[in-house]
Amino acid sequence: MRDEQAGDAGDELTLTGVSRSFGDRLVLDDVGFTVRPGRMTGFIGANGAGKTTTMRIVLGVLAPDAGRVELGGRELTRPVRRRFGYMPEERGLYPKMRIDEQLVYLGRVHGLGLRDARRRTDELLDQLGLADRAHDQLHTLSLGNQQRVQVAAALVHDPVLLVLDEPFSGLDPIAVDAMGAHLRARADAGVPVLFSSHQLELVERLCDDVVIIDHGRVVAAGSADAVRTQRKGRRLRLLVEPEPGEMASAAPLAEGAPTGLSAFLEQVPGVSVHSQDGLRVVVDLADDADDQALLATAQQHGVVREFTPLVPTLAEIFREVVR
Amino acid sequence: MSTRAGVEVDAMSPWTAVRVVAAREIMVKLRDKAFIGSTVFMLLLVVVATAIPLLLGNQTPSLRVAVQGSAAHDAVELATALGREAQEPSAEGTDVSSVLSLLGVGTLPGADLTTVEVEPGSDVGRLVRDGDVDAAVVGDDLATLRVLGAESVPDEVALLLRAASTELQVAQTAERGGLTTAEVQALTSPPAPTTELLEPRPTGSMPPELLVLAFAFLFYISVLTFGMSIAQSVVEEKQSRIVELLVAALPVRWLLAGKVLGNTVMAVGQIVLVVGTGLLGASLAGQGAILGQVLRASGWFVLFFVLGFVMLACLWAVAGSLASRVEDLQSTTVFMQVLVIAPFFAAIFAIDPGPTQTLLSYIPFTAPLLMPARVVLGTVEVWEPYVAAAVVLVTALLFVGLGARLYEGSVLHTSNRLKAVQAWRSARRTGA
Repeated sequence: MRDEQAGDAGDELTLTGVSRSFGDRLVLDDVGFTVRPGRMTGFIGANGAGKTTTMRIVLGVLAPDAGRVELGGRELTRPVRRRFGYMPEERGLYPKMRIDEQLVYLGRVHGLGLRDARRRTDELLDQLGLADRAHDQLHTLSLGNQQRVQVAAALVHDPVLLVLDEPFSGLDPIAVDAMGAHLRARADAGVPVLFSSHQLELVERLCDDVVIIDHGRVVAAGSADAVRTQRKGRRLRLLVEPEPGEMASAAPLAEGAPTGLSAFLEQVPGVSVHSQDGLRVVVDLADDADDQALLATAQQHGVVREFTPLVPTLAEIFREVVR
Repeated sequence: MSTRAGVEVDAMSPWTAVRVVAAREIMVKLRDKAFIGSTVFMLLLVVVATAIPLLLGNQTPSLRVAVQGSAAHDAVELATALGREAQEPSAEGTDVSSVLSLLGVGTLPGADLTTVEVEPGSDVGRLVRDGDVDAAVVGDDLATLRVLGAESVPDEVALLLRAASTELQVAQTAERGGLTTAEVQALTSPPAPTTELLEPRPTGSMPPELLVLAFAFLFYISVLTFGMSIAQSVVEEKQSRIVELLVAALPVRWLLAGKVLGNTVMAVGQIVLVVGTGLLGASLAGQGAILGQVLRASGWFVLFFVLGFVMLACLWAVAGSLASRVEDLQSTTVFMQVLVIAPFFAAIFAIDPGPTQTLLSYIPFTAPLLMPARVVLGTVEVWEPYVAAAVVLVTALLFVGLGARLYEGSVLHTSNRLKAVQAWRSARRTGA
């Protein structure tokens, strides 16, 4: 059995009611979410939304004014936090120190014995394809390779939780894939992984769970699918082919109407047209709008070939909630 | 748990953490070209400093003296013998004839005199003017000897000749008065009284003031360079943001303690190396007396050095943590530089024993320089260094506490330069 105090992979990280202000500026307001083991959780928010502050609080670099952070239901202590892996937003390593030496040092700082630290360093450098650069100083490496060393720094002590602030920023697409694979491997090994990113498509592709934060408040959290489907159904895409006869009779319509179809659909209460592309129309439904009435109206207009509730992308949800 | 890869993470003791941090500081220093360079430079300086007096001391002047006349011949002959005698170490101080002591001459200088005989009637002055000889002695009567020089007569020649002529004249007069050879001998070279010190001051062949200055200078250089290097190491971690990784794993105080420990070890190590080289050089040069003298004094010096260094080291770390970039260091460390330089000059000006020195030897900033100095100068009661050490120790503890708090408050504040007051306030707000 491992040390009970130290926590194990397989425990989930929970934030409850976390608040923090700097001076009189409230940066985090009652933040709460869960990072589950074995899953990648994307942390999304605009600049200044409070992502970095949240991560620093998880790591214990900052103290919250109120609220709790727990791993597997236990309040975090320094020995538990020492087993977290962290990649700060602004990369932090010694520019003029050999990369193997700084990884060994960081392993030691995180509680590894010298021999373990050396072994893990060799393993990681090998896995990351940096074995031949082990004796080089960090600043002589390319940006992509420096980022890889930074990943190694977060992984060297085999963490029970990974917290990464913008791990993909500045990486080329190939490096992004490699980084994604590394994180996925850690998650598959049962480690909860929390990372922030501005690249929403990337989060969409990689993440199991998402947390969206805006002005210090969590506006959406949960599995990516759930967050998206919660918001589906309020937007529909229709493809309506006008009947040949209808076409002729529609001709003398009043001037100024966008097309016959749009004007027709907007007669239904609570329906507004979002966009139109030829015969395809995307409409938004107000909360009290009746989609069956919309369907009936569309059928009056022509043959309904498509009537699809749209599942919004994370990017769309994000733009909507932070607007 | 197949993922753990057999890595065991122990609950870390503060001492382990401090040691790990200190070990990195030491390793970085040992690889630092500037550090190696400055150490080598100091070693060279010490070697040169011990070698030069040695070379100068061993240099016996060789002088050519022209001689014209019988009395001149006798006098120069004796002067040559005296000059040779003075070069023998055993002769030092003891073999000065009482006559010379009466004349106030003191120790005779060592010199190799070469005699150039000149025929009567030749132009001696020309030889001197042309530089063929360093001086010329002319005369057939001891009472009317003349010494010729071009611009000046070398001191060695003048002194030796004066001694020789005096001795010859005393002997001549005594013989004329009918004294035996033994009586003449007793008259010209009476045994000197032996000196016995009942309370010898702990002095060696090096003036204690010089020793004090040397130690003060070493302390000053060491605190300044290592203080600056602590500040640099702190700001480097701050600027590269690695401090966030470290602080997530270690309490800020442990980090600070490790830095101070590592740099203290290196500073003391450097001092020991430099002083050791100097002592080795001195003993090789046959000045073993210095060795014992310095070793006796070094106990208090080292103790005060360590206390004084630690006292200031934490404040240097704070000075570093108040900066956000290396470029800010100049302005955030100005106060610290003053705190090191001002006591150094105060100590130098108070090198002579007196009430000022006594007072300053109890003030924490000057005590590390002046209290050991007073021990060496022998103007101190037995209990005094202990009291001063306690004063410095208490101040050091206070400063360590103050430094740790300011460091905690500022080390994570990366966006701009901080004032100490802001750091003090924000210390309560970090998780560290």
